[in-house]
Amino acid sequence: MNIGEILKNLGESTGFAGFGNAGGWQSIIMIIIALFFLWLGIKKKFEPLLLVGIAFGMLLTNLPNSGLYHAEWWTGPDVVDNGVDYLKVLHDGGLLDILYIGVKTGVYPCLIFIGVGAMTDFGPMLSRPSSLILGAAAQGGIYLVLILAVATGMYTGGEAASISIIAGADGPTAIFLTKSLAPELLAPIAVAAYSYMALIPLLQPPFMKLLTTKKERMTVMTSTRKVSKKEKIIFPILVTIIVSLLLPSVAPLLGSLMFGNLLKECGVTERLSDTAQNALMNIVTLFLGISVGATAIGVTFLTGKTLVIIVLGLAGFVLATICGLLIGKLLYVISKGKINPLIGSAGVSAVPMAARVSNTVGLQYNKGNYLLMHAMGPNVAGVIGSAVAAGFLLAVFG
Amino acid sequence: MSSMHLIAAVFDKTEHIKVTDALLLAVIGVVIVFIVLIALMLIVTAVGKIFDGSEKLQKEHPEWGEKIADVKSKMMFWKKFQKQEPASESAVNVPLAEGTCGELKLINTEERDAAMIMAIVADTTGTPLNELRFKSIKRLEEEK
Repeated sequence: MNIGEILKNLGESTGFAGFGNAGGWQSIIMIIIALFFLWLGIKKKFEPLLLVGIAFGMLLTNLPNSGLYHAEWWTGPDVVDNGVDYLKVLHDGGLLDILYIGVKTGVYPCLIFIGVGAMTDFGPMLSRPSSLILGAAAQGGIYLVLILAVATGMYTGGEAASISIIAGADGPTAIFLTKSLAPELLAPIAVAAYSYMALIPLLQPPFMKLLTTKKERMTVMTSTRKVSKKEKIIFPILVTIIVSLLLPSVAPLLGSLMFGNLLKECGVTERLSDTAQNALMNIVTLFLGISVGATAIGVTFLTGKTLVIIVLGLAGFVLATICGLLIGKLLYVISKGKINPLIGSAGVSAVPMAARVSNTVGLQYNKGNYLLMHAMGPNVAGVIGSAVAAGFLLAVFG
Repeated sequence: MSSMHLIAAVFDKTEHIKVTDALLLAVIGVVIVFIVLIALMLIVTAVGKIFDGSEKLQKEHPEWGEKIADVKSKMMFWKKFQKQEPASESAVNVPLAEGTCGELKLINTEERDAAMIMAIVADTTGTPLNELRFKSIKRLEEEK
């Protein structure tokens, strides 16, 4: 071997040469998109904890010849027929392949839900149980998007179901469902879900103002009953048993959420609760972001399907908001003007952003009308609602 | 076979489905979400009523509370078999800390809320906490 040959081989092994191969131009575009997402996360603070990780995963996976992630090991006809060859992944896989095991097995979304549960106070919902109806109503957006996605004729049943869950405004739930039903769409669905969650303060207010009257928006809600410590301890245990018996496919997500909440409320596991809320949550968020980003490979990401997913995701958020508001208006009438319909829009999960938006819009029309605690009820009920909706779709298509 | 399994047998995730099927699924899906959450609402309401009811009863009949406590103590028969650690003298008769100005009575108030209130008062009045004396903190119920 002469020096010319060595230099030629060296040149061919670089990532720069990889850009000239099949899919090279797509990789360049994906790197530009990754840089744009990094800018959105860092400069504009759009869900930075996840978007920065997702964007960096996108960047790494689209650098040719890096061998960090092998999409063909996780999706494609061979995998559908024979399943994932985990031995090969562990033996020959790159860093992102190894981290992706947590997504593929559904471990990361469940661990995130333990953290979310440990950070959630179900008190406002327990003190006003009708909040659960608003949490259910907002899930109407999921099923309307399912119909829309099927109507486009571009998606299989599993893909349409995965796209529809974007309307649930719940990242871990979207990832949990998509990794089972349409893993090839994981990146666009996760990016759409988290991006729109960051945009909730811009997306919801116009519809909140459009669908409610000034009188309704000014409604002052009175404080509700005080919830005892015992009730808060009993709730996660009861929910886990009842919902998991009704819809077993929802048990991993809801069980994790309620386990985290029990750690918080029982009062004897403060160390575990603290770990779930902070250390565990941060570590899993880090792994989840970077490994979800790794699935955004140019050849599969830059398609018409992705573009339509972005549009359907937007429609889903809007439809979910509208459904929540309409039922909120209904409750306003039934309660004879005691429930402010603005809290209906908080039924989309996105905790606590959607509740904050209800509070902000309420304050614009009636200074001193703090709706935050009242909106937290539908908001946390929405988390349960979207998990139930995902469980149903998983039972139907899984 | 449950209804869920019947539906699962009809739809394959890798196949396209008809819009009419999607409509049917949407209707069933919405109904299921509502059924589950309404069931939860009813249970939460019932549990709340039980707790409120028992609290109300205890307020109306304080003597019942003593009887319940008595029954409870009788039910915990296994405690008799547990090795009783002799209480240390310091634990039985803990002297008050130097500089303390007595006990604080909390009425319907959690310790965390009380700590927050004391901190707010100290901050607002500009008085160090060790120079303030709180006798009791009571939660006021709002009139409905």
